[in-house]
Parts: sequence; structure tokens; C-alpha cells
Amino acid sequence: MIMPLLQGLKITFLHMFKKPVTLQYPDERPNVVPNFRGLHGLKVSHERAKCVACYLCPTVCPAKCITVEAGEDANHDKFAARYEIDMLRCIFCGYCVEACPVDALKMTQEFELASYKREDFVFVKERLLEKK
Amino acid sequence: MVNLTIDDKQVTVPKDATIFDAAKAAGIRIPILCHDKKLHPFGGCRMCLVEVEQMKGRQIPACTTPVTEGMIVRTTTDEIIKARKMVLELLLLKHPIDCPVCDAAGDCDLQNLTYEYKVNANRFQDEKFQHKIDYENPLIERDMNRCIHCGKCARICDEIVSFGAYTFMNRGIEAKIGTEFDGPLNCEFCGSCVSVCPVGALVSRPFKFKARWWSLNKVKSVCSYCGTGCQLTLGVKDNKVLTTIYDENQGFHNGQLCTRGRFGYQFVNSDKRLSTPLIRKNGTLQPASWDEALTLVSAKLVEAKNAGGKSVAGLVTPRLTNEELFLIKKLFKDGLGSDSIDHSAGYAHAALTAGAAESFGSAASPSVISDIQNADLLLVVKTDAYETHPVVGFEINLGVKRKEIDLRIISDKRGKLSKLPKAVTYVHKPGQEVALVNALAQVLLADNLQDSTATGVEGFEGLKQQLEAFAPEKIAAACGLDADTIKTLARDYAKAAKALIILPLGLGYPGHGKALAQALANLALLSGKVGKEGCGVLFLGEKNNSQGAADLGIYPTAGGADADAILAGCQSGSIKTLIVAGENPVVSYPDRKRVEAALDKVEFLVVQDLFLTETAAKAHVVLPACSFAEKSGTFTSVGRAVQQVNQAIKPVGEARSDFAILNGLLAGLTGNAPYADAAAVFAEIAATVPAYAGLTIAGLGDTGAILPVTVKPRFVAAETAAVTAESGKFALVTGSALYHCGTMSRFGEGPMHVCPEGYVELGRDDAQALNVKDGDTVAVKSASGELRLKAKVGTRMPQGVVFAPYHFDEASVNSIAVGAPVTWVSISK
Ligand code: SF4
Ligand code: SF4
Ligand code: SF4
Ligand code: SF4
Ligand code: SF4
Ligand code: FES
Repeated sequence: MIMPLLQGLKITFLHMFKKPVTLQYPDERPNVVPNFRGLHGLKVSHERAKCVACYLCPTVCPAKCITVEAGEDANHDKFAARYEIDMLRCIFCGYCVEACPVDALKMTQEFELASYKREDFVFVKERLLEKK
Repeated sequence: MVNLTIDDKQVTVPKDATIFDAAKAAGIRIPILCHDKKLHPFGGCRMCLVEVEQMKGRQIPACTTPVTEGMIVRTTTDEIIKARKMVLELLLLKHPIDCPVCDAAGDCDLQNLTYEYKVNANRFQDEKFQHKIDYENPLIERDMNRCIHCGKCARICDEIVSFGAYTFMNRGIEAKIGTEFDGPLNCEFCGSCVSVCPVGALVSRPFKFKARWWSLNKVKSVCSYCGTGCQLTLGVKDNKVLTTIYDENQGFHNGQLCTRGRFGYQFVNSDKRLSTPLIRKNGTLQPASWDEALTLVSAKLVEAKNAGGKSVAGLVTPRLTNEELFLIKKLFKDGLGSDSIDHSAGYAHAALTAGAAESFGSAASPSVISDIQNADLLLVVKTDAYETHPVVGFEINLGVKRKEIDLRIISDKRGKLSKLPKAVTYVHKPGQEVALVNALAQVLLADNLQDSTATGVEGFEGLKQQLEAFAPEKIAAACGLDADTIKTLARDYAKAAKALIILPLGLGYPGHGKALAQALANLALLSGKVGKEGCGVLFLGEKNNSQGAADLGIYPTAGGADADAILAGCQSGSIKTLIVAGENPVVSYPDRKRVEAALDKVEFLVVQDLFLTETAAKAHVVLPACSFAEKSGTFTSVGRAVQQVNQAIKPVGEARSDFAILNGLLAGLTGNAPYADAAAVFAEIAATVPAYAGLTIAGLGDTGAILPVTVKPRFVAAETAAVTAESGKFALVTGSALYHCGTMSRFGEGPMHVCPEGYVELGRDDAQALNVKDGDTVAVKSASGELRLKAKVGTRMPQGVVFAPYHFDEASVNSIAVGAPVTWVSISK
């Protein structure tokens, strides 16, 4: 009866002499692993988003939080005239990244997504474009 | 019948079937790329390879190989799968594989088969195609890099559309589908090639990049342009009609559409649509609430009703559904006590409501569309039958080319139909149709070629007497055809075992009225060619529900005023309230000046329409109505086919369907409860209109129903109207342009891209004499006015005759034409 209790206390005491696992966030920053699935980023190449508005990510998205509208540019090519992700609905499954046929989408290590207003959770194309 | 075994299944098929057909009958799917059930077998892609035991396991194409007795076929052996994979690898070799930006993705046969056969690597290597993409026209984009050389586009354009815009050019790996001199595509833009292209080589530009195929909601409906009544599938997303989708199993036409049906849908979501009711206040139309607008209209109607109903009249478009037409007729009859209601200017339906009604005993064609292909001889009145009803035109093309139907056309000009193999066009002087048809009938009598049944028909003796004046010799000179030609035509018609007469109707054809219908009916009855397969007279009503409007009595049936009298009544002040539902008389009725004066004069004008048309701009109250995509109901089209229209989107803005508007007004006036829905009204139609007896809206299903008709024949002498030629002037004939139907197509981007404005078409000789070149602006002057129109110079028009389409507001041809079959005009630069 008393043995399990002592066993537990032993672990507690041992931890008193180890490095703490918690972080003093936000003074201390976590070390986010590279394959963490945080905020999306639209990759840029040749000064423009790589996304060709193929509509595969909105199709595959189980939370239906991606809105794409294709446009036709001066060369008659397809581009995403509108690209939005509603982060309030996103479940960070990463299917969109997997579906993208042109490797235009990634998920960054960005996890601080809190906001004061609902509208601010809708990330439009400009906000998603990869920062240099 | 032939018996064979496919993949161990026993199949029995007709002896002209191919292995592909047999497999399909047995429910076995053989992959295809270049085969189409509507086209002649081609055998170009080798995707459909199968093995036949009797041929020692050799691989042969299923789509071109006819079945033989006892054949044992295997459709999927390892060898075949290997061969099919190879076919795909070779097709993908020079293919761009840019599915992410290709509109065909998701509905692409090449993509689907590549996935199915798991072709994920290619043993071969080559450069990709580097063809220039054709972006020149606004409707069809041609990217020959994606083409797999199935030849379907070239074949459909030749075999069915009979235009022949494409052909294969160059050899071997250089081969591609080319246009005339490899230039930009310039054709009818019917979109048939786009619909059959199995890949993304031909795409619809108005729909380009708008949405993915799989995200579209597909709603079956019926085209709302002409009377052919083509079934179509609307592609809908986010309450917008984005495209029309091809479904080869729809309708008698196998999903084929003309340029209006295929590319003219944009009017539904046009930003010019009216979104709120408008009421005229201090001289201008201002937005108002529905309550305010309807209260005002109801008050006026109650006033009119209390005054006895004589002072209220209606002009109704035959584009409304049967249910809406029923409601408006009921509103006038029971609600207001008025019989002054009409459509299509009164004359564009007279061929049915007066002509057919007297001669055949009911206001409907005794023939149906399938009679076209079952006939031995077709007698078409005016080459314009192609322009007014293009998909009926496809049926004629097919009949002439596949079944060698003898095509005879009596017309005041030449046209596309004239170019069909062995077609004979009898070009007569404008306005002489009735005389010419009477002469044909006279020849039958003179030669004793009449059918034995004819003599017993009421009115035979009278007709015989009347026709004496129409002996070919007597009318030849006036008709501009020689007597022998007329006689040969009459004899050929009489001798054909099965012969069908086709008569297009419409606002552009004032001459195609009661008299012409009766002359044709006499001809058909005399030769005993009514009530049999492949025979009779097929009236092509102009609008999507012209036949419905005739069935439901949208014309004065108890001595009320017709369209002409209604306008006169507005002018004189005897008609004080006019309801215009969807019609646009200012542009489409003859004599624009008179129509405008009448509408300006009428005390209270209510217009229900989708757009602020030229007519609506004159109204006191404008009610925003719904397009066919926003409502459910039925249309009755050419050949008495009743078909279902299904609501695809919610009403645009605050618009309400004519059904809702009329239902409310009717309930208000009669004090009865409003109808629950279209089905309830259809039930009442079925109970009161004999032809619809026993039908229910649900029972119509996807295919629709053909209304029954009983012919009670009667000979009625067809009166000719004198045409007095004015020397030195041109005979102006009006009509429809291929890309337009009525005035609604002006709000579709597609038709407006190809044919944006009115024109006057002249023959080469006349143009030369006037020193006019194609594209010049000319002044066209008649007794009633003058217009400046662009000249179109071609080979269609005979000397002294010019043609102008009627659909347009600017330079609307009704400002010079006043409703006579021929208008005499002078033309100068
Ligand atoms: S899957 Fe990729 S290319 Fe396609 S829409 Fe999404 S981000 Fe753009
Ligand atoms: S044609 Fe088919 S296979 Fe070719 S790019 Fe388009 S979708 Fe892909
Ligand atoms: S749009 Fe019609 S007419 Fe033009 S090329 Fe295609 S099939 Fe032929
Ligand atoms: S354009 Fe399309 S329909 Fe025409 S041959 Fe090429 S793949 Fe076939
Ligand atoms: S033929 Fe008439 S009904 Fe058919 S698609 Fe063309 S306009 Fe529509
Ligand atoms: S489908 Fe048979 S060869 Fe193309």
C-alpha cells in the first residue's frame, strides 16, 4: 500500500535535481522541430507565388477552410487571384501540403496564431506568402 | 442477331454492332479515347484493343470491328493491359501533362486512364510539343499541345455540324489538328468540338479557370433559347451558373447544343440583372420594396377589374414556363375578366394557333423531331431553319449525310443548308412562299397525284377551285422560278414515300403566318403525308416554350384584343393598364415608332423582366423576374415535347419568379388560396388542357413526354398577300442570326462576342454596284425610317434582296420594318 506512494515521491524528488521540462514562455522560446505543422506558407519562385490555383488543396482539405479563386494573367496562365485559409477552421492535418502538385505550399514553424478579432484569423494570400 | 462471347458472357446483338457495342450491351467496359457513339467509327487511338480467339489472339480495336457469329472475345488479358499501357505512354510522351492548370482535369479521359492503368513512368523520352496556342477567339481556346489526335473534333464538326472547321494536317509526329490555313478558328462556335474533346486541348474560354469539374453541382434542365428544347446540364457553383456540361446521354440530340445553348448562359448571372423592383417616381424609375410595388400593381388591377376588365391587357413572352403561362392566362380570365392577352406580336404564333388549328384541328405540329431522320424527302421552308433552330439543323445534316434524305429548300436566299450534299435550293422572290406552295399543291391536283384520302377531306372542292389560279405557269414569273422546276419539285414531293415539311416561325418572319401554314398543310394533306412516320408538317416555334404558349391559350381565345389591337388600344386610350411579362416589344415587334408611342401613352405599364430592357425603361413599375435557371416547371418545345426545367440556383438579388409574382396577384384578385408549387399548377393543366391529360410533373422524369395529337384535317384556301415590287429598291427580309434568339441572347457574353451588332447582308453583285465593301456602314432607308447598319457582303443573297437580323436595340431593324414579309428599302453609302 505504501510502496507505490513512495515510488511516486521518489520520481518527484529526482526531478527536483533535473533540468525543468517546462519553458518560461514567452521569455523563453521553444525549439520547434522542422516537420512541425504550423501556419501555412505559400512558396515564392521567380518573384511570384508558385501556386497555380489547381484547386487540389481546397478539394482535399477535410475542414474546408481553403478558398482559392483562379485568375488568368496576361500570358493566359493560371494563377491564384485569391488564396485564403481560415485558421479558425484549419485542423493542421497537412493534407493540403501533401496534395499540392507543384510544391507551392508548406507549413511553417509559426505557431503563435492568437488574435483579437475573428477576421484576423483569415489569412489572405499576401499574409501567407513566404517572407524573404 | 449475332451471338458471341465476351469475357465468358453470352451476348446477342444486332449484326451491325461492333465488339465495343456488344461489350457495352453486356455491361463490360472497354476503355476508349477516339470513339463516340454519335460518330462514324474511327479506330485511331488503339485504346480499345481486345483479343479475339478466332483471330489467334491478335489484338484488334473493338470500336471498329463488327461482331461475327460465335466470336470469343477477351477484353482484359495481361497482354492487352500491356498494350494499352504502351498506348498511354506514347500519348503522354509529348503531352505537356500540365493537369494542375488544365481545365479538363477531373473529366479527362487521358488522365483517368493513366490513373486506372497506373502509368507512372515512361520508358520513352522525347521533347514536349511546342505548338502555338490559339487564343484568338473569345469562346474556344485551342491548345494543340494537349491534343491526342483522336479526331473527334474534326469528325463532329464535319459529320454533325457540317461546318468542317478542322482537319488533320502534316504527317507522323508533326501531325496536328489544323484549321483553315492553320489560322485562328473562325466558325459557328457551337462548341460541339469542345464537348467531345476527351482531353483539355479544346476548352471553353468563358469557363476557363472558373472552377474544377468536380466542384460543380450538375443540374439537368432545358435550354431557354429556341423552341428546339435541347436538354442541357448546368454547372453550378456558389449560386452561379458557370457553364453548361456535356452529357452525351441527354435528349434526342445526344447532348449536342448550338452556340446559344453552349455559350449563351451568362445572361443568368449577368451584372445587368435587375435586383429590386422599380417604381416610377417624378419621372424616373427608383428602387422600391416588393410590398410597395405589388400593392401598387394590385390596386391598379382591382381598379381595372371593377371597370369590367376591358381596359387591361397583357403581352407575355413564350419563354415562361407552362405553369407561369397558365397562371397569367388565369389571372386575365378569372381574375380580371379580360381576354386581351397575346404573345410574339400575334403573328409569330399564328401558324400554329390559326393555321394548324384550322387545317389540322389543333394548334400543334402533327409531326415530331424524330420524323426528320425518318423521312425520305425534307421540304424546308427557308434556309433560315438552320439559324433559328440549329440543333434541328444538325438533325437535318445527319439525315442528309447518313441517310441520304433528299433535301429541298424553298427560300428567298441561300444558306448553310443549301451546301449539304445534293440539297436543292429553290430561290424564289421574297414574299412568294404562299403562292409557290399553292402552286405545288396545284401540280399535285393537275397531275392527279393526290392521295385517295384527300378527296374526302372537308374543303377539297373549294381548294381545287382556289388553286386554279396558282398553276405554275401563272405564278412562275412572280415567283422567279420556272414552271417546270416547280412541277418537278411537286412531283418529287408527292412521289416520296415519306416526306416532311419544316417551317420555322418567329418574330423575324412575318410571312410565316397562318396562310403559309395552311398552304403547307394543304400540300401535306393532298399528298396524304400526315399522321405517318417521317411525314407531316413540323412547325418550329421560335422560343423555348412557344408550343406551350399555344397550348395554354396565350392569345385571344374569346374575342379579346390581339397584340396589334392591344397596341392600338394603348394608343387610343381604351387600354389603360398593360402587363408586359418578359416581352420586349420595343425591339422585337414590328414598327418601333408605333410601339414606343403606344407604350408611352398607356396609363399604367407593368413590366416583369430580367433586365431593364427598352420596354421596361418605359414602365411605371418594373418587377425583377427570374431566369430559367432559378425556377422549376416545364417547357413544351418543337414536336410537342414537354420537358422539365429544374431550379439550379436561388433567385438573383431580390428577383422573384414570374410564378411567384403571378401566383400572388392571382390569389389577391380572386380571393382563392395561392397554388402550392409548380406541380400543383401542372396538375391543373393536366386536368384542363386535353393534350396534357394524365401527365404529372414527376412522371415526366429526365426524358419528358411527347403530347398526343389527333389530326382533324380540313382544306382551307391559303390567301396570298400581294407583294408589289418598288423599282430601284431592294427587298429587305428580316430574320434570326445564328448566334441569337429573340432579344435575350444580347445579355449572354458568348453570343455577343461573336455577333455583337445588327448588320445588313447583301449579295456580291449588289455590293459591287453600290460600291460597298464588307464592314462598310450603309444607310438603309424605308418608307417608315432610316437606319445605319454595317454591311456584310456574301454569296447568300440573290440580286435585289438584302437580309437583316432583328435582335438588336441599336439600329433595331423594326424601326424600318413594319411587319410586312418584305420591306422595300433603298441603300446608299
Ligand atoms: S494544391 Fe498547391 S497549386 Fe493547387 S491550389 Fe493548393 S497551393 Fe495552389
Ligand atoms: S489533357 Fe488531361 S492529362 Fe493532359 S494536362 Fe489536361 S487533364 Fe492532364
Ligand atoms: S465550335 Fe462547332 S463549328 Fe466551330 S469548330 Fe467546333 S464543332 Fe466546328
Ligand atoms: S483537339 Fe481534342 S477532340 Fe480534337 S483531335 Fe485533339 S484531342 Fe481529339
Ligand atoms: S438549338 Fe435552341 S434549344 Fe438547342 S441549344 Fe440551341 S438555342 Fe438552345
Ligand atoms: S477507341 Fe477504338 S481505336 Fe480509339
